[in-house]
Order: sequence, then C-alpha cells, then structure tokens
Amino acid sequence: LCRGGLAERLCRLQNRERSAISFWRHQCISDANIPSDKSGVLIVKILEIFEECTIQVAICQQLEQSTAMCSPEDAVINSEEPILKVLFTRETAAHLKSRPQDVIHIYPPWQKLLLRNTDVPVIMNTYFSQKVLLSEHSEAREKTYGLAKMLIRKNIISLAQTFRLDDLDDELHQESSDNQVACAPQIRNNCDSKQHPLALSAVNDSLLEMVESQGAVGWREAQVRVVIQRVYCLPARQGYRSHIQGNNPLCATPIVNTDPPNVRLCLLVQDAYGMFSEVQLQSLSSTDDTEQYGRRWEGKFCYLAGMKILQRTTRGRALGLFSLIDSLWPPVVPVKVPGQSQDSEMMTTNLPPPSFCYILTIQSGEVHVEVDEEEQISDLYQPPAVHGLKEILRNGGCNERCSFWAQVLYLRLQTKHSVPINQREILLFVTDSTLQNAVHMTPKAVAVSVTASCVLSTEITEALSAASQLLFFKDALWGNGRIICVERTVLLLQKPLLCSAAGADLSELTGPVRLDELDSTTQANSICALRGTVVGVNESTAFSWPICNRCGNGKLELCPQDRELLYCKQCSEVVITPVLKMQLEVFLSCPSRSQSTIKVKVCNEISSFVLYVDTTECPGLFVLLTMLLFLQTYEVQSVLGKEVGLLNCYVHSVTSHPNCVVLEEIVLL
Amino acid sequence: VPDELLLGLKFIFGPCAVPALDLVDQRSVTRVMSPSGRTLYQVLGSSGKLYTCYSSCHFCTCPAFGFSVLQKSESLLCKHILAVYLSQAMGACQELSVSEEQLTGILLAEEEDEG
Repeated sequence: LCRGGLAERLCRLQNRERSAISFWRHQCISDANIPSDKSGVLIVKILEIFEECTIQVAICQQLEQSTAMCSPEDAVINSEEPILKVLFTRETAAHLKSRPQDVIHIYPPWQKLLLRNTDVPVIMNTYFSQKVLLSEHSEAREKTYGLAKMLIRKNIISLAQTFRLDDLDDELHQESSDNQVACAPQIRNNCDSKQHPLALSAVNDSLLEMVESQGAVGWREAQVRVVIQRVYCLPARQGYRSHIQGNNPLCATPIVNTDPPNVRLCLLVQDAYGMFSEVQLQSLSSTDDTEQYGRRWEGKFCYLAGMKILQRTTRGRALGLFSLIDSLWPPVVPVKVPGQSQDSEMMTTNLPPPSFCYILTIQSGEVHVEVDEEEQISDLYQPPAVHGLKEILRNGGCNERCSFWAQVLYLRLQTKHSVPINQREILLFVTDSTLQNAVHMTPKAVAVSVTASCVLSTEITEALSAASQLLFFKDALWGNGRIICVERTVLLLQKPLLCSAAGADLSELTGPVRLDELDSTTQANSICALRGTVVGVNESTAFSWPICNRCGNGKLELCPQDRELLYCKQCSEVVITPVLKMQLEVFLSCPSRSQSTIKVKVCNEISSFVLYVDTTECPGLFVLLTMLLFLQTYEVQSVLGKEVGLLNCYVHSVTSHPNCVVLEEIVLL
Repeated sequence: VPDELLLGLKFIFGPCAVPALDLVDQRSVTRVMSPSGRTLYQVLGSSGKLYTCYSSCHFCTCPAFGFSVLQKSESLLCKHILAVYLSQAMGACQELSVSEEQLTGILLAEEEDEG
C-alpha cells in the first residue's frame, strides 16, 4: 500500500473501527450497561427487511425518544414520522437477528446519506446497533421467525433496459446483448440464461457437487471456485528419462542437470465446504517457475473449469497427500455445511478430517484454470506454520508435515553417480539457531533426506552445490525420528510471502556452527566433531591424487595428445595446475568415546602450482615430488601422539563387534 | 477526504474498498477516449494485468467481477469498477486518447483473450 495514501488511511481507520465493534458486541452480549447517554442515538422501528448483495436493507420509521420508552407494539405508525432506509452489514444483521416490528437503537457513529432524487435518507455505518427486546414476546417471535429465510430482492436493471433494446425483436435482442457484453467464456452461459436456465446454477463453490453431478466424463461450462492452498511439482508418472550428459555417459554426474525434468505443476485446492482436491496442471519445462507460481498463486482464489477426474483417492492409498491435507485441517475459518441454507450459524470448523480426495487434471484441449491474482488472499488460506527445528524434533508426531528454515552445513549424495538424476537421493545436514543454542538433549545438527520424489528446482540444486545455503523447507515430512523431503515438499531460497512464524526470526545463526561431539550415542550417517590423539596410521591407505582445480573432478586422465599432461573430461580441458589431494586413515583415541576404535579418513589438499615442472626430461619427477610432499606432511613418526583438534566428520559406520567407528573428515559448507 | 467518507466506503463496498483506494493512490485508472466520444476505462491491476471497465454500464473484465458480482451477487462491484468511480470523483484519472480503431481493438481484444 502507498505510504500516506488513502488505502493506508482506511486500513488504520478500519482496524480501529473493528476493535470498537468487537468491544461493543462484547458489551451487548454481556449485558453490560450501555452508557445511558442517549444523545446521538437513532431509534428506529423496522417495517420491512430485505437483503441485497450481502447488505441488509431495513425500511424503518424513526421514532421519537419518548415513544421508544413504551412497549413497541403500542407505538402507532404515525405517517408523519420520517421513513429511513437503514443498512446493516451481514455481521451486524446476524448479531441483531431483526424482524419487522423490532425496535433498534443505533448508537453513534453512524452516517446519514442523502441521495439525489430520492426522499428517503440512507443510514449507514450502523455497526453499533442494539435491539430492544421485550422478554415476554421474544419467545413467540423466535418460533415464528425461526425458519424464515431472509427475503432477497434483487433490483437488477437488465442490460436490455440500459441499452434500450426492448423494442427490438427477441432474436436480435439476444444477439445484441451477446455482442454488447463482451463476455468471458466462463460467463457466456449466463448470457444465454433464457434458453439455458440450468447454466446459472452450474457455477458454484462445491467440488463435490461438481464431481457428483457431472460424472467422470468431465464438464465444460460449469465452474468451481476454490482457494489454492499449496503449489508444488510432482514428478511425472510415466517413468524417467535416462540421463546421458554430453559425450561421456560414464562421467561422474554433477548434481546440476541440464535436461528438462519431467514434472507437472500441481495445486492443492480447497472449496468453501472445506473439501480438498489436487489439480494436476501442465508439465513444466523448467522447475524454476514453481517458486514464482507459488508466490503469485498461494492463497488466491481460482476458477476451475473443464477438469477431468483422474482418481478418487483415499487416506490409505495416498499417505503423502493426506499428510499435507491434515496439516491444513481444521480450516481456519468456518466452512459451509452441505445441504443447508447458508446462515452464518451453520458454518462450522468442527468437522472430521477428510477421508477422500479427488485428483483432477486438465481435459485435453480446454484449459481453464484461472487464478485471480488480483484478489486478496482468501481467509481460508493456511500458510505453512514455521517452527524451529528444536520444536519439530521434540514433537512426538508421526508423518506430519512441518516447515522450517535451516542452514545447510553438509551435503552428501546417497546414491551412486551412475543413477539418473531423477532417482538421486541427497542427504542434507542442517541446523538452525534453535538447535545451535539448545543446552542439552537436542542434537546440534539434523539430517534431512531429500528423496527423488521431491522436485528440486535447478536454482536450488545449483545453490546447494555452491555454498552454505539458508533454505526454507516447506511441508517436509517428520516421522520416526527423521525429517524427509518427499513429494509435495518444496525447498525455497526465499521466504514465502505469508508465513506464520512461531516466535522470533529463526533464521539468523549467531556465531560459528558447532557440531555434537562424538560420543556413545553417535549413529551412522550423521555428522559430528571430534578431538583425540593419533595412535596409529594406516599406511596402506595413504593416497594422493590430483584433482581438477576448476571442477574438483578426481578422475583425471592422461592427455591423449601429450601423455605428460593431465586432462579433465568434465571440463574438456587440460589441467595445468591440478590440486593435490591427499588422504590418510588415522586411528584416534577419543576421550569422548574411549571404548571404541576410531578410524578417521583425513583429507588434505594443496594447490599444486609448485608442481608445474617441465617433466619431459625427468618423467618421474612429478611422482617423486608428490611422494616427498606427502611424506613431509604425514611422516608417520611425527604424526603419532599428535593431538587432533576439533575435526568435523561424517560418520560412515558404527559397529559394536568390533567396537569401531569409521568416519571421514568433511568440510562444512 | 474526511475519515467518515472512507469508513462509509468500507461499509458499503466491504472488501473492495481498500484495494480500490490503493488503485486510486497509485493512479492506476486511465480513461481511454476516441474521437467519436466513446470512452472506456483501463485499470492496471496489482499483478500487472490490465482490466477494462465500461463506462456505460457496470462491467469489468476481471474474473472477480464475473464471479462475485454477476453470478453470486455477493458484491455490488469489483475493486476496479470502484477505483474507476473514485478516480472520476477525485479527478485522478489518467487520460489517453486513441483512434477509433485502437478503441475497437481494445474491446475486441478482450473477447479474443477469453476465447
């Protein structure tokens, strides 16, 4: 909203007004003493009531102060008393439950509007109204009017009148109105309402009604209005594309994949009755738009038409989908109850969680999903509830969806590089300020498994490979002590617009990251820190090899043209200054886990610009230099007994017989 | 503009009021005129989409109008139409003169888009 603009002003005024109204209503309910200062109070007697476009219009007679004191029935309708048109909003009307002959006291501030060319003034801003009840008659009245529906009178001027087309013959009239009103197809049927009276009732806000009335054939004209709760991508079901990159099918595959992923954009929508449906839209060529669509569409209204029912699935068959639905249950605002007239009293939030869900898809040819991005966010929308990791881990739930911010510390591909990118599983080690600052009984970092069914955008995969990222995990699954990212989980780099955050901003990490120290509770596939003393060296595992300084490829080959030079197939270039990687397994004695044999694979790297020597004359020089350097750094004798500082490690395995922990030194992102 | 007027707008037009005022603040309403005197209004919505509102009757090309106003009769008008009226009242409309062909083009383009 513009600063200092009218919209901002009205917002502020509105908030103040709303507080005043709820205070007033509270006073009315609790029968507190309304200030007896009757100045400015408008006293009216209702003669007639009807509703128009959600506003209740009451034709009333203004009563003088004195006559209001007597019983309302005794007040004779004096034709000289002024007639007023009093407007009430839907909420006020529900609160008042007024009937003809009721006497209403309208407290200030109310407004009077005098329209041109009319005699009857209009009274508005009637929030502070109260009905004067006579106890002995109220019961009878309740019985009589209990089931009466509000009269709805629509004073609609037909377009024919507006354009003065009454004198043309019917056919021409029909045609002209069609032409003059440039209808969008979704309302074209209403223009033909004379010939198709059913078309008007075909549009509604109930998914179930749509499905049950049209059958599996699909429908065309009818439209449903729903709220988009979530936007995500699902991997397409028709298998995966085998991944071959460039001209080297055997090359180690980096995470970044240039092939277009086979995914479909999907929406989880909810109608006014609280029922959910998953709508599968078009296949995406790039997953980068998912975040965009999410930002623009979540929470907004959407009009669906021309949908085909793919499946009616139940809780037992689609656990993933229903875990997401459960996270959105119960609805945050009352929903309609099917089959009842929609009095506000009938709406409820007290319904059992859904047990079935329709999966819809687009009918080929007709694509009709119109998202009203203009409209405000619907009240029914439930943004993901963000919690700290500490809270999530403590929560005893099972298969529940959770959303959180976390800093990615370390990344590990769980599957071999030869597995196609669509089937890779990634293990992320993450932390946040709640875990880092926790005193005890909480791990400092937690593993999040990203399965292949969780679609990652190329932006995310690139970011993950590059540096430590602060990621927003939306609707991850928590259960059995693990957090996993599966279908319908979305990873984002930026915070979604609307998020209910519990507590302070959880994303800031103050200070360097600390990991749990290795101890008796450490498990495999986790990360930890350790310190200890070197008690042994596994010389047979001492190894050094050159890696490409550009891409880190460890499988360099000898250049075909010049067998003295190294060549990197991933970069397709000669490696002039390879980095030397050295690896050694050492045995440590760690006080924190003194009973076990600790074997750590330590790594080290040195840039090898010093190694660039002309080796044509002395071919063995390179190898010799390497060995010397290696020995210099890791001369066994000098290494024994050395204190190894706090090393960050990944735990490969923990075995009890023999009591051994195998770790690998890692570098946190 | 006195506070009471703003609250009055809110009372009558409900949820349309604030967004419509926002559109007016941002001067999003343009009156498009052709030499023959035909006019229509174009409103630049918050998502960047341009909606057309007619001057001779209540009509707007936004989906909210079609749904809330025409079908459900939940609202009297949509925020774009309200913004048009407010801009007219406050003299905050931007003006644009176009040729007859261009005006016709705008009106017909709407039909093509939806079709």
